[in-house]
Amino acid sequence: MYTVGQLGKLIGLSRSALLYYDEIGLLSPSARSSSGYRLYSEGDVQRMERIMTYRDVGLSLDVIGRLLQADEASAPAVLERHLQKVSEEIARLRQQQRVIARLLGDAQALGKSRSMTKDQWIALLASTGLNEEGMDKWHMEFEKMSPVAHQDFLESLGIPLEEIALIRQFAKQKAIDSDG
Amino acid sequence: MSASNVTREQWIELFQLAGLDEAMMHKWHREFERRYPAQHQSFLQWIGLSAEDILSVRKFSQAG
Repeated sequence: MYTVGQLGKLIGLSRSALLYYDEIGLLSPSARSSSGYRLYSEGDVQRMERIMTYRDVGLSLDVIGRLLQADEASAPAVLERHLQKVSEEIARLRQQQRVIARLLGDAQALGKSRSMTKDQWIALLASTGLNEEGMDKWHMEFEKMSPVAHQDFLESLGIPLEEIALIRQFAKQKAIDSDG
Repeated sequence: MSASNVTREQWIELFQLAGLDEAMMHKWHREFERRYPAQHQSFLQWIGLSAEDILSVRKFSQAG
């Protein structure tokens, strides 16, 4: 026989939880000591283990109570219903996941809406009086400072990936040449 | 700040290294604002400026 404290330790539940389970009739001790303390039998422990299993799969105490009362034949039906609910919940979460991903996608697209063309960008830089040599220098320094940002920026101008690779290669080579 | 961005300070440094002086940079903002205001806005977001800073840069750019 187990006392409340012993059973709690055995299955990892608090004393107050066990008292509550007794109160709602989910798990009542089979016996009392002469001084009135709750005593749990091996059978109670087995019942408690089933309760814990059902709890782990997310069943409410109410449903667990019905499941324990139900005969062997009706238990699968209760579990089937629960499985159905879990599946619906997963579907709902998947839907949320899709919406969030779409919102994030929009946010990133917004960041990319710089969407100038390469020619527009070059014309804009040229309007300051910067010559071609200065622009080459700009690519070189950009590549040195942050290759990833350089790539990202060139992509935002809609430049094809092969051409970006060439621009960056040129910038890297120029950096090597100027260092050497 | 994600790795695919540069900061405002880095961008200014880049322009200085490329040979743009302060007057040229101002001209650049002015032209950017005049030709492509929406892209100017998102560029300023990209280099991590706050909404307030963006507003003041764009106002300054419009002033000429």
